[in-house]
Amino acid sequence: MRRMMTALLALLSFNSVAQAADAVRFISCPIYRDTDAGRKSGCWLAEERETGRRFDITQSATKPDWSMAVLVEGRIAEKQDNACGATVLEPVRVSVLPDQACTRAMIPAEGFPGRRFVLPPRNIRPIHAPDPAPPPSYTARLFLIPFDYGRDFVVYQQSDWMLVNAAAYARAAGGRVLVTGYAETEPLRVSGQSLSEPASLAKSRAEMARLWLVSLGVPADRVHLDWKPNPAPLADPAFDGLTETSRRRVDIRIEP
Amino acid sequence: MKRSFVSALALAAAFTLPAGATWWSPGDGTPFPARYDDADADGVTRILLDGGPMETKGHPFFEAKGKYGRACVTCHQPSDGMSLSAETARIRWQETGGKDPLFAAIDGANCPDLAQGERASHSLLLDYGLFRIARPWPPVDHDGQKIEPDFTLEVVRDPTGCNASKVWGLAAPDPQVSVFRRPRPVANFKYILAMGFAVDPKVGKPLPIDPETGKMVSGNLMADRRVLSLEAQMRDAAHSHMGFDALTADDINRIRDFEDRLFVARQHDRVGGDLDAMGARGGPETLARSEPGRLGSQGTAVFSEFAAWEKIPADAVITPEQRAYRESVARGARVFRERMFLITDSAGINSPVGFGNPVRNSCVFCHNMSQMGMDVAPGQVDLGTTTMPFADPQPHLPLFRITCKGPPHPHYGRVIHTHDPGYALTTGRCEDVGKITLQTLRGLTGRAPYFASGSARDLRAVIDYYDRRYNIGYTEQEKRDLVNLMGAL
Repeated sequence: MRRMMTALLALLSFNSVAQAADAVRFISCPIYRDTDAGRKSGCWLAEERETGRRFDITQSATKPDWSMAVLVEGRIAEKQDNACGATVLEPVRVSVLPDQACTRAMIPAEGFPGRRFVLPPRNIRPIHAPDPAPPPSYTARLFLIPFDYGRDFVVYQQSDWMLVNAAAYARAAGGRVLVTGYAETEPLRVSGQSLSEPASLAKSRAEMARLWLVSLGVPADRVHLDWKPNPAPLADPAFDGLTETSRRRVDIRIEP
Repeated sequence: MKRSFVSALALAAAFTLPAGATWWSPGDGTPFPARYDDADADGVTRILLDGGPMETKGHPFFEAKGKYGRACVTCHQPSDGMSLSAETARIRWQETGGKDPLFAAIDGANCPDLAQGERASHSLLLDYGLFRIARPWPPVDHDGQKIEPDFTLEVVRDPTGCNASKVWGLAAPDPQVSVFRRPRPVANFKYILAMGFAVDPKVGKPLPIDPETGKMVSGNLMADRRVLSLEAQMRDAAHSHMGFDALTADDINRIRDFEDRLFVARQHDRVGGDLDAMGARGGPETLARSEPGRLGSQGTAVFSEFAAWEKIPADAVITPEQRAYRESVARGARVFRERMFLITDSAGINSPVGFGNPVRNSCVFCHNMSQMGMDVAPGQVDLGTTTMPFADPQPHLPLFRITCKGPPHPHYGRVIHTHDPGYALTTGRCEDVGKITLQTLRGLTGRAPYFASGSARDLRAVIDYYDRRYNIGYTEQEKRDLVNLMGAL
């Protein structure tokens, strides 16, 4: 009953976000703007064809490949710095769509500075750094791991950090670890296209999460797998307010 | 046979020795000193044996084992920075009339079924420093189980004849793919085995687990990462290169002890003088004393060992030539770290991890480990050195046509032409075609040519390749500075 209520609340939240004027979701071909403010400072732009608006999608953890289309999901940022010459989306998630080829497009900086690379807060500590265990007391806890559309690849400096945290908690807390993978199997209409993930992706995401947990020291016999299609969306900090992306996730429930 | 431990006093005379003049044969019994200086025309490469000298008589690294008459030292020569240069191979050919075990038919010839003793049968080793590496086809995993590859492999061109051989080729009873690779240096393993992070962002997974120990490992061994531990590498090398399958646990422990203590780096330059002078920290002593596996961008900047040479005092007592050289090395380190360019279509960098394609960065994006310039994460990356259209023409090498059965390669498409599928011969995955594990960048001068396929005849050719591959647009001075830097490593 409690889970149903949670899902209902999340659905309401999802609808409100989706309908918000500052929320965008579209498919387009990316454009690389060749700004140079040091390493990783190039800008990524994408135009919402339905409206003609061009957005700066650089802040996504996953950057585009200039020869493939991208699914862009984000919100118009409150603070606009015009570093790249387009409206900034932040938060923003980009999913690469390898089956949809794009003509490579690179434009010059045209005076836009780009942004200096800053190490994001979600980054994994080096092995040589101190690794204090999460402090007790240990209670049941749910870790939500986002995935890009259509992939079971663990997103660098985002989902990897979340998996490392989940593993650390599971090691410290003991008990059962229930891993449930989800895929967004219900067709989603975006930019005139119907997108849906195969049900098998739910399983492969769950298996990927298990691989991480076990490799990072969680005993394999404590990890239990499940996978399901088409979950209800959830509002959780893991998704940075982009609740609609939460249907592509893994739940890791740790029960000490 | 000449053998020399060159002292500082003898350096001037030693400069006249041709590279490769110092040959260590199996069973020599020559003690390995705590400090071994090898002089060539341009300076001195130093090997430190941390912890003191070692008797080599009876030592499994130095004694011939197996049916080919080789020892580990045959292909990992101290005078070549614990690797082997093509020039040394040529000198050895001349000195022995091709009779040295180095030229064993199994891999020191272009193919074992060629007429041995003829130079043409050993041309890849003599001209390019390449040994034949036979990989099982289809690939097998670490348990010896066959992997079903997601690509087909056809031979387009086979100048050695080995891939078409009924005994050694793809149609043999035990099918093999013959590729040709340079030997990697046996030194600085503290860094090669170091783990900086518990994960490999390039593949979106934790570091690999050694099936023998159940422990995480760096994943940075061998060009195609076909083994995960140094112990497994020893067994692989003993079997394939020495014809020996009876390495004992004691043998392995003794080799491991020796290899763990070896540090190699350039120590002295003919023009620039000592590389640890005037505040610089070149040479192997720094390697032996530094912590490995550290990311340069989060700690000690890569090759900042030469930062003190960026601003040499005007009244410093050095020659104008020394000053020019040292400033060039310091500039080269800056160029290495800070000269940005667009990295494009390189699997392992631009895919599958979401760095973007293209992504702006410098040499240290991949060569990111402090002191060593290798990859902190497992360094399986496709720089295009073996794969068309980026590879330089290499008509002496076989050419394979790879056809992806599943999803196409993210950058090459469904059909790929390559001289060496690299990591894909270990994983059986199309997306890994052309990926080669990044090498260490120390002690480079003694082991030309460079890249896994020996396609760069010297350090300048390495820089020129990158300049072409990524359209960097280095100035002539930047190229000279980079060459001087690499020569000082």
